[in-house]
Amino acid sequence: MPIKRIFAVFVPVLLVASCLALAQDGEQPNAQKHPITFFVTSVGIGNGGNLGGLAGADAHCLALATAVGAGNHTWRAYLSTQAKNGQPAINARDRIGDGPWFNARGLQIAKGQADLEGDTLELARLGSNLFKQSALTENGKVVNGAGDTPNTHDMLTGSQTDGRAYTDSADHTCNNWTSNSTGSAQLGHSDRTGGGNHSWNSAHASKGCSQADLVSTGGAGLFYCFAIN
Amino acid sequence: MNRIRYAAALFILAAVPGAYLARAQQNAPQQPQHRMTFFVTSVPIGNGGNLGGVAGADAHCQMLAEAVGAGKQTWHAYLSTQAKDGQPAINARDRIGTGPWYNAKGDMIAHDLGDLHGDTIEQARLGSNLNKLTALTEKGEIVPGLDDNPDPKDRTWAYASTHPNSNRHEMLTGSQPDGRAYTDNVDHTCGNWTIGTGEIHAYYTGEPGAQIGFSDRNGGGNGNWNSSHPTMGCSQEALVRTHGVGQFYCFAPN
Repeated sequence: MPIKRIFAVFVPVLLVASCLALAQDGEQPNAQKHPITFFVTSVGIGNGGNLGGLAGADAHCLALATAVGAGNHTWRAYLSTQAKNGQPAINARDRIGDGPWFNARGLQIAKGQADLEGDTLELARLGSNLFKQSALTENGKVVNGAGDTPNTHDMLTGSQTDGRAYTDSADHTCNNWTSNSTGSAQLGHSDRTGGGNHSWNSAHASKGCSQADLVSTGGAGLFYCFAIN
Repeated sequence: MNRIRYAAALFILAAVPGAYLARAQQNAPQQPQHRMTFFVTSVPIGNGGNLGGVAGADAHCQMLAEAVGAGKQTWHAYLSTQAKDGQPAINARDRIGTGPWYNAKGDMIAHDLGDLHGDTIEQARLGSNLNKLTALTEKGEIVPGLDDNPDPKDRTWAYASTHPNSNRHEMLTGSQPDGRAYTDNVDHTCGNWTIGTGEIHAYYTGEPGAQIGFSDRNGGGNGNWNSSHPTMGCSQEALVRTHGVGQFYCFAPN
């Protein structure tokens, strides 16, 4: 009888303790698995910065999601476009819903926009839960980063660090994701390593917009996909 | 005979500087362009959160730096202490000079205090260059991080102390994300780095723990380098429970 009682106390304490230990480390128990609402494209479209515009990029997200049984969400590529020909700019952050977003293993990437983009000084310093070991493809695989061969950590975003479009006259979006030659794309790092900073969505610009340019900068034309629902 | 000697002498004279130059050129890219002013301690002190106070931690930095020929500079551990017994708090960020700081390979870690800590929102969003590939030990080695050689036993000191490639990415800092000391009544510094005991999970009952950051910026729900979460207590075993062994950052302020 006393042994049972000890067990009754001991087991819940252990369970709570081990959950805490796991949570502390950024890992979450499998029991709390959330459906995938975030991934890095496992492959690029392959035509440099020409993604077929935002619509083409969104379709790529959906196709990859569908292949892993997650096609029941509305998927959006995390890409901005710049104001041009009378069309207003579109901010990547305004396309992806409110979160929270979870990766293929059910790990939370960010609680919401403020966490993801660092909308306050404190949140920006702390950073979101998006890093190399959590920014997984739709297949749940870690994306090659700095130090891996080949390094494919450059993520097309066309965005500033706050997730908004650029407002200057320079091209930061490979002509709103239609150019595979001239122009340039602003890139983030899925491993948050390189470029002299830690930014996931706005670390540096690509050398150009051809597929070869993207590869030689340290990428493969990959981008982030988020589900808005 | 003389002619041969003469030719040999000429040859040696020509060959030696040639070889020397070739070697110098080969070595040149590996030579740090900047003197090392930042490292992660390659080994912990090993007594949990008891570092012998900040002075003990500074001495540990100095000793490790000396072992690799970088002992001419003054080294400070990146640690805060909390106000206690009439002594004012000390902020880690106030102990490390103004930068820029470079690792053992000459890579810049951060331009200045604002870059390192994200003093403006743009700096904070961008983040510094401190990451798994740059947060090197004084020997120029990468510190094993999240998901490196995972093993169910890697949360014990018995395992971590005998498996140097297991995840040990938690760096003691005792600091808030801005690099300053905590001002509440909770102990975030293992008694200002003098307590090396404390049951696992002691922190959750209000007992001392140490705030840590990640050298690989992976984990804890934020990947923060200097203030991600508290340890579960101050014993060596408690530190290991969340994948740290009691290492910390060292900076040369001069």
